Amino acid sequence: MAGGARNSVSGLAKEFTFLMRWAFSAFVLYLAALMLVAVPALAQTQTTVPETSLTDRCLTCHRQEYLGRLQVDEQQKDLYVDPAAYKDSAHGLLPCNACHTGFSHDPHQMVTNAEFFAETAGEACRNCHDDQFEMYKQSYHGTLTRDIASDGVEAPECVDCHGTHAIQEVATLEYRQSIQDVCGTCHGGRESTFLDTYHGKAITLGREAAATCVDCHGAHSILPISNPQSTLSRANILSTCQQCHPQASQGFTTFLVHITPTSPKAPVIVFLVAVFYLVLIIAVFSFGGIHTLLYIYRGIKDGLYFGKGGH
Amino acid sequence: MTTGTVATEGVRLVYRRFSAFHRFNHYLVMTSFFGLVLTGLPLKFKDSYFSQQLMNAIGGVEAAGFIHRTSAVLNILYFVLEAGYMAWYVAARKGPIFSDDSIVPGKKDWQDMKGMFRWFFGRGPKPALNRFTYWEKFDYWALFAGTVLIGGSGLMMWFPEATTRILPGVTLNVALVIHSNEAFLATGVIFIFVHFFSAHGRPESFPADQVIFSGYLPVEHYVHERPLEYENRLKDGTLDQVVTLAPSPQRRRMFGWITAAVTVFAFLAATYTFLLIIWPLVF
Ligand code: HEC
Ligand code: HEC
Ligand code: HEC
Ligand code: HEC
Ligand code: HEC
Ligand code: HEC
Ligand code: HEC
Ligand code: HEM
Repeated sequence: MAGGARNSVSGLAKEFTFLMRWAFSAFVLYLAALMLVAVPALAQTQTTVPETSLTDRCLTCHRQEYLGRLQVDEQQKDLYVDPAAYKDSAHGLLPCNACHTGFSHDPHQMVTNAEFFAETAGEACRNCHDDQFEMYKQSYHGTLTRDIASDGVEAPECVDCHGTHAIQEVATLEYRQSIQDVCGTCHGGRESTFLDTYHGKAITLGREAAATCVDCHGAHSILPISNPQSTLSRANILSTCQQCHPQASQGFTTFLVHITPTSPKAPVIVFLVAVFYLVLIIAVFSFGGIHTLLYIYRGIKDGLYFGKGGH
Repeated sequence: MTTGTVATEGVRLVYRRFSAFHRFNHYLVMTSFFGLVLTGLPLKFKDSYFSQQLMNAIGGVEAAGFIHRTSAVLNILYFVLEAGYMAWYVAARKGPIFSDDSIVPGKKDWQDMKGMFRWFFGRGPKPALNRFTYWEKFDYWALFAGTVLIGGSGLMMWFPEATTRILPGVTLNVALVIHSNEAFLATGVIFIFVHFFSAHGRPESFPADQVIFSGYLPVEHYVHERPLEYENRLKDGTLDQVVTLAPSPQRRRMFGWITAAVTVFAFLAATYTFLLIIWPLVF
């Protein structure tokens, strides 16, 4: 009985060690797998945690408002960054050095980095928005930056249209409403004529679907109308209008977006009608105003309002 | 006329100036015009603080566009009815077309106007005015003709794609200039310079004239306000065509309330419009 039992016990023990060995190997394998997954994860948290706080570290200084009026080498500089606006922007989660490459330690090597940065401001966006960058470089504004900017012509770069530290998402009413003013800083005349059309009035008052500058001209692909590639060239204008006016015909596209009706440069019929109304309105309102005032004057003078003459 | 103490309660006489048709048409043009002005002008004066507020209150530019178009249909209906009435009046020879009694302007209106100016300056008596005064004729025809222009241009802007299938795109530019300016002109004429003054501001109508809502006028006022028509009718013996018994006291009270309500609303709307327009000029 005992021998049998012993036998069975040792048999059990053998079975046990066998199982143990398997369990141990499985455990090791499990640990190895865990390491494979966890190490990169750990590595990631190791890199992101300090970088988020890097933003905060940068901001400990750059949130100081006096940096907004700093005198550096006899130059007035605005180095203030509004932390709230930054955190609310489309880039709120990016560490500062995602764009300010090279700024990784503080106190930083300001002078060298600044020089580096000044030349690559546009490039700062390229790393992440290559599509827009390539398109922009081929647009009229993009070529201007290269060729004409040295002659003093100011052409817009990414940050002129989007801002720097408060970049908004573009598919919002607020951003769409701001586009006319962005373009208007350099194309003021075009802005004021645009605002006289239904599109301009409606977008100003909050109709998001109304066309703004870039719906007709493109944003990063702006070209002169004379360029066949332009969204508004003879060949393309119809499909541009048809995005929102599916029933449009070629005649529809000859609506004039940028005219001042009271300017002699407007088509003669528009000009004549506008001037006619100007004169008519002044005449009718002046005559009506004088007639009314005299009537009231006589009414009061003769005591007609509350006296026996009236009701 | 013997009036006052002699004509005791129950024997009140009134002069019937507007038929039910004309009163209906006035309601129609009045409501649609308020709707059109309040949803159109904010677009024209888009920079005004009050425009943005009004647009928000209405529910946005698209909702305003919907109200504008609904009101436009009513406004066009007024025009169709009025034009139809005119055609019928002329075709059926319902009355004289060129006479002191008609709405068509004539030489007498020019003389009346000169007479009124003499009166304003204290150089003569107030002229004996017709059934329709020159400013009433101006009001009537300006609105009628204005509706052709504003409605026509408005329809083009409503259906720009269809319009430019036939006409060039510059038509839409012209339509916008006409619509925008004509709207401004009409608003000024109606809300300030001519119509509201005529209906509320003149000594004869101050603070409100209910004749367009009730259709009648106490005979005493009629004699005083339209002396020439009265004389003519007396001569022709047509006075009994227009003088009838006053409506019941309940109806009189109802017309009084309607007039008061419309006056208050019109006053508020005109003040709002005025603020809306001058706001960008001041700030
Ligand atoms: C200890 C305070 C401090 C901290 C922390 C700091 N900065 Fe600065 N930063 C300054 C001052 C001061 C200047 C201006 C000095 C100069 O230009 O000579 C400056 C200048 C700059 C400039 C502009 C240089 C120029 O002249 O155009 C940039 C860009 C900049 N900092 C980015 C950063 C970034 C990104 C961080 C975080 C990595 C950061 N800073 C952290 C104080 C600080
Ligand atoms: C999306 C890219 C981007 C990010 C992220 C970013 N910046 Fe900038 N920053 C720019 C660009 C582009 C300019 C240059 C603007 C110009 O030339 O007008 C700039 C300019 C600056 C300047 C002023 C330099 C000068 O000479 O005017 C300072 C200071 C600055 N950044 C600090 C910061 C700080 C601090 C952070 C983090 C909170 C930050 N930036 C995050 C793109 C960025
Ligand atoms: C002339 C003004 C202007 C310039 C310069 C400009 N953008 Fe834009 N960008 C816009 C406008 C406007 C929009 C919104 C487009 C729309 O609503 O269709 C936009 C949209 C974007 C978007 C959102 C995605 C998209 O394409 O709609 C990104 C990302 C962007 N721009 C990045 C850039 C970068 C990077 C540069 C520089 C290479 C740049 N932009 C230069 C005006 C500009
Ligand atoms: C480190 C990568 C990075 C850099 C550098 C960068 N961006 Fe961005 N950008 C992003 C990310 C991520 C988003 C958020 C995209 C989203 O929300 O869909 C974004 C969003 C945007 C948007 C809003 C896009 C939208 O769909 O509304 C604009 C505009 C924009 N960036 C412009 C710029 C400009 C201008 C620069 C250069 C000053 C720049 N970005 C630099 C990563 C970057
Ligand atoms: C920083 C100034 C600036 C801003 C902002 C700007 N532009 Fe320009 N743009 C220019 C300059 C400079 C030219 C070249 C003018 C010339 O060649 O006479 C130009 C040229 C153009 C042209 C080519 C036709 C022409 O006049 O020669 C178009 C179209 C145009 N811009 C549209 C836009 C639109 C749309 C926007 C807004 C999304 C915009 N621009 C924003 C400066 C700007
Ligand atoms: C409904 C479409 C539309 C909108 C919206 C629009 N434009 Fe235009 N734009 C045109 C057309 C069509 C032309 C060509 C005819 C002309 O010159 O008037 C043009 C011409 C221009 C030109 C001259 C281009 C050249 O090659 O000569 C500039 C610059 C311009 N627009 C800027 C703007 C700006 C800035 C805005 C916004 C404030 C704007 N446009 C809004 C349709 C539009
Ligand atoms: C981003 C969309 C969009 C684009 C692109 C666009 N439009 Fe419009 N447009 C609108 C909307 C929305 C309305 C209002 C339509 C309505 O209420 O029925 C409108 C109305 C109009 C009207 C009527 C305005 C009035 O006076 O009542 C004209 C004319 C017009 N657009 C011309 C054009 C032309 C020409 C183009 C092409 C060069 C164009 N639009 C491109 C959105 C657009
Ligand atoms: C009777 C027929 C009318 C029609 C069919 C009509 C139609 C239109 C349409 C389609 C628009 C474009 C804006 C939008 O879609 O909302 C518009 C704008 C406008 N309407 Fe009318 N409308 C009419 C009468 C009036 C009247 C009577 C007034 C005021 C007295 C008026 C005032 C305006 C104003 C001020 C605008 C803005 C114009 C601008 O952009 O400057 N409309 N109308």
